[in-house]
Amino acid sequence: MFRTEEMDINMGPQHPSTHGVLRLKLSLEGEEITDVRPVIGYLHRGVEKLCEHRTYPMIEPLTDRLDYVAAISENLGFCGAVEKLMGVQVPPRAQHIRVVLAELQRIASHLLWLGTHALDLGAMTVFFYTFREREMILDLFEAFCGARLTYNSMRIGGLLEDLPRGWVDRVRHFVKIFPSREKEYEDLLTVNRIWMGRTKGVGILKPEDAIALGVSGPSLRGSGVDYDVRKAQPYSSYDQFPFDVPLGTNGDTYDRYVVRMEEMRQSCRIIQQALDRLPEGEVRAKVPKYIKPPAGEVYHVVESPRGEQGFHIVSTGGEMPYRMRFRSPSFVNLQALPMMCRGQLIADVVAVIGSIDIVLGDVDR
Amino acid sequence: MADESPKAPPPPAAPGPEAAARPAAPPAAKPDLLRAPVPSPAADRLRERFPEEVLEVSYYAGDVLVRLRKERFQEIARFLRDDPGLRFDYLSNLTAVHWPQKPKPFEIVYHLYSIGKRHRLTLKLEVQDGEEAPTACGVWPTANWHEREVFDLFGIRFTGHPDMTRILMTDEWVGHPLRKDYPLEGKPEDHVQYREVTTAEHVYTYEKASIRGFGWKKEVEKTGEGNG
Repeated sequence: MFRTEEMDINMGPQHPSTHGVLRLKLSLEGEEITDVRPVIGYLHRGVEKLCEHRTYPMIEPLTDRLDYVAAISENLGFCGAVEKLMGVQVPPRAQHIRVVLAELQRIASHLLWLGTHALDLGAMTVFFYTFREREMILDLFEAFCGARLTYNSMRIGGLLEDLPRGWVDRVRHFVKIFPSREKEYEDLLTVNRIWMGRTKGVGILKPEDAIALGVSGPSLRGSGVDYDVRKAQPYSSYDQFPFDVPLGTNGDTYDRYVVRMEEMRQSCRIIQQALDRLPEGEVRAKVPKYIKPPAGEVYHVVESPRGEQGFHIVSTGGEMPYRMRFRSPSFVNLQALPMMCRGQLIADVVAVIGSIDIVLGDVDR
Repeated sequence: MADESPKAPPPPAAPGPEAAARPAAPPAAKPDLLRAPVPSPAADRLRERFPEEVLEVSYYAGDVLVRLRKERFQEIARFLRDDPGLRFDYLSNLTAVHWPQKPKPFEIVYHLYSIGKRHRLTLKLEVQDGEEAPTACGVWPTANWHEREVFDLFGIRFTGHPDMTRILMTDEWVGHPLRKDYPLEGKPEDHVQYREVTTAEHVYTYEKASIRGFGWKKEVEKTGEGNG
């Protein structure tokens, strides 16, 4: 009498809740999802190819444009990789300032994620609240380097200049008021019945699957796997600041939300300590004017707001890298999407995409 | 390094102030010290278990790089993942490097990490142009998209991969952009001659590839075949 048939529908690449040009081919049985096939590459700009024809300082602005909502994390990772390749020791003051910048960037990125993720699930108010605080951070970045999105904030060997006058006090003010602001978001969401209904038990990722699929960052920690590059293999003086790595238990969308909320608090804690212990001195190591690293290859990883951001540089001793590879967390995390969506409803796909927090500039490179 | 030979006095003066300004780590800047071996239980274990397969172990800035023969790669990969002392359960990155001058021009690089043991290891395989590489999908499922990307951008196929299709470029794209002979700018058909072969596979002869600027030799010549 009734016939059921699997139906394929297309979501994106111009869908507002795919956060960019992501296309998903959904196979549906009724409203239940049987398979998801992500189609990517709409934003592919061939950055790795471009890097082979640019000198090392010219590559840093390109890294801004990969993960454009967390450009400072990319700058930090790229500069760290070249410094590792050259064997340069960055002065402690520069390292502390880099940590402050990277953690402010983490908060800004998580605020953007929280606002849009909540907006996707129908909670509009949170969006206005989070953008209010994100604006404060962008103002701080603007005061530091003049840009609000693509910063080019660091240089190989340290920083271009020292902090502007009064900047530290402004950061201290932000760190002081931020916990109360974060409580406002939590009041709106954490025990909100609609929010819990939309996120609890949705998009479950088991820890063993998460590791096998190479998922990293808050999406991995939401499944309860204790891997944070800042703790596991500290870079840029992260080993000097005690902080906690929040872990989830169920690996669902709600747990990933809780992990990111706690990460913002821990970032405040790190910023506070870095500012308290900010040493005096140089902000840039003595590096040659023409940067020509010796022949060799390195793989350097940092913890970006989205996960393990890797930089693989092969040098043949020239002023341009022979091969530059960006291991982007968004690309790898997106691979787990089909597993997380199977058996869910269409509306849950939106929740799951939001919870793995991808940036398409980083996926497609 | 090369310009030290003509004049004898300046070279000692040049490293002097640099070393004084950076007392903490002046030796680290020297390439030979960057290449100093570091203790690596993983490389030792691998060499002990597969003495035939490990071709070379090298070091750079604390990273350990192991060059392997590709024949028994999957067995080695499974060993690295399951050995209780190593537990490389996390494939962090997989990529390739193109060295056109070498006899085996493609180098596939695996960056492994162990979440429990917190150590890293880099593996390398070398393949000929047109030769297939063993897939790592069965051992680390995350390799799936990485291998598709390597196929897309380098044209290396992986034996046993479940879905060997392009991922970043469009399906009808011709050529593999990250090969060294692929032009940086211009339309590919201006530079690359290609012809279709019976396997419905686009193969292009890349000796003809040229590039504007950047000191590449420009020699586009017309052949009878293809539509270049």
